[in-house]
Amino acid sequence: MKFKLRLMIVVGALLSLGFFGMAAAQDDQPAKGAVGGLVSGAGGAVSGAPRVTLDVSSTAPRQVEDTTERAIVRDYGRAWHDMADALAQNRADLLPASFVGIAQQKLADRIAAQQKSGLETRIVDHGHNVQAIFYSPEGSAMELHDTAQLEIQVLDGSSVVNTQTVTARYTALMTVAEDRWKVRVLQETQ
Amino acid sequence: MSAAGGTSRNRYGLAAALTALAMLMAHAAAAQQLRVPDHVVANAGATLTTSGDGSATFYLVGPGTALKREVKLGEAIELSGADLRNAGRYSAILKAGGNAQAASLLVAPAQPAAINFMARPSRVPVAAHDAISGVAFVFDDYKNLVTSPAQVTFNLAVGDAAPITRKVEAREGIAWTRLDSARKAGAAQFVASIGDTNVRRVVQQVASDPCGLRFHTAPAKNGVTVETDPVKDCSGNPVPDGTIVTFVETDGRTRSTVDARIKRGIAQAELPAVPGALITVASGVATGNEVRLGGGK
Repeated sequence: MKFKLRLMIVVGALLSLGFFGMAAAQDDQPAKGAVGGLVSGAGGAVSGAPRVTLDVSSTAPRQVEDTTERAIVRDYGRAWHDMADALAQNRADLLPASFVGIAQQKLADRIAAQQKSGLETRIVDHGHNVQAIFYSPEGSAMELHDTAQLEIQVLDGSSVVNTQTVTARYTALMTVAEDRWKVRVLQETQ
Repeated sequence: MSAAGGTSRNRYGLAAALTALAMLMAHAAAAQQLRVPDHVVANAGATLTTSGDGSATFYLVGPGTALKREVKLGEAIELSGADLRNAGRYSAILKAGGNAQAASLLVAPAQPAAINFMARPSRVPVAAHDAISGVAFVFDDYKNLVTSPAQVTFNLAVGDAAPITRKVEAREGIAWTRLDSARKAGAAQFVASIGDTNVRRVVQQVASDPCGLRFHTAPAKNGVTVETDPVKDCSGNPVPDGTIVTFVETDGRTRSTVDARIKRGIAQAELPAVPGALITVASGVATGNEVRLGGGK
């Protein structure tokens, strides 16, 4: 009996040390409702969109109008929400509502590659501090510098391969398209 | 009793050996390491080094890509230019057994090689201050926004007139300028260039408001014909055909108004011949001369 007890203790120790490939078992559970759940209600008009604060105090050469400021906050938050959904569900069809041009193409490429490799990316979005640094003279393009607080999970099938909590800096270029602002470039910088 | 004691010692020994083995293997798993280069340029590719023994699964997730590959620990992982074509942060993950090591790889844009150029407006009056704006977004060959400083040249030219040139340093991927429109009407070639790359836009510079508007009268079969001199702006450019010129005739009791379009540079209309009536002409904000019928001008 004592031997069996000791053997169980040893096996338990092995399990806790990850001997059977079950290390960080808590990490193997994808975050439930990761995209929308933690940020619900933070985006104002767009349900599930992350919190976005926009600083237009040093925007040049054109001053940002109040209505444009509100539209950028709404549409940039919506873009992150749409991107998170698209990457989590591997659905490129969710992108055109908020992305155009280069940004849309690169995200679509990533989704296609994720599908091919059986991967998914989940983003838990803790919010964005955004500074508008450029607003074009005729009012159709704006460059943003975004400091984003993100938790990013890479999943292989249903198991989490890696989770990173990062403060990431992005340069985003938004342009007027149809009835809203859309992201044309979204590029992480140092 | 002694046999029982020996068995017990053997069991303790086995347990200790298993624990040691487990710790050794856990240590070995934790020892796998992934090293990534500090600085990578878009499309240049990169070599990642690994340590440890056995096989592992390598993941690379980043802008425009997501790949999964089986690799041998201790061997280098070669990433091609295509794997790292997009600027931004990539997560490189090495998973062996239950243990994963991750590293971030930041890829910088390559050299400026392309421009997205917005010129506004597409049609502008001549001789207008700061009326034309040009915004150039600087990209590399792989559609990455080049955020490091780069010099963009803007050039605006109409016909044989001397071009206006501005050199502007792009900051955070953007260079912009505002220019006056030229005094001469015509299709202005607005060019943004960086290195050997040029992007051309056409800004149609059209005559401004009429200037020195004048008309004269002539008897007609059923009244009086009013006809302008060639309608030009203050720079001498012909005002485009189709522009409305309004003639108004008043005699104190009645008022007749005719809107005539400029045709081949001239606007013409027919009004009732009312002796003593005053005829005036205007186009947009510009007014012209007056003519009193049957009297002085």
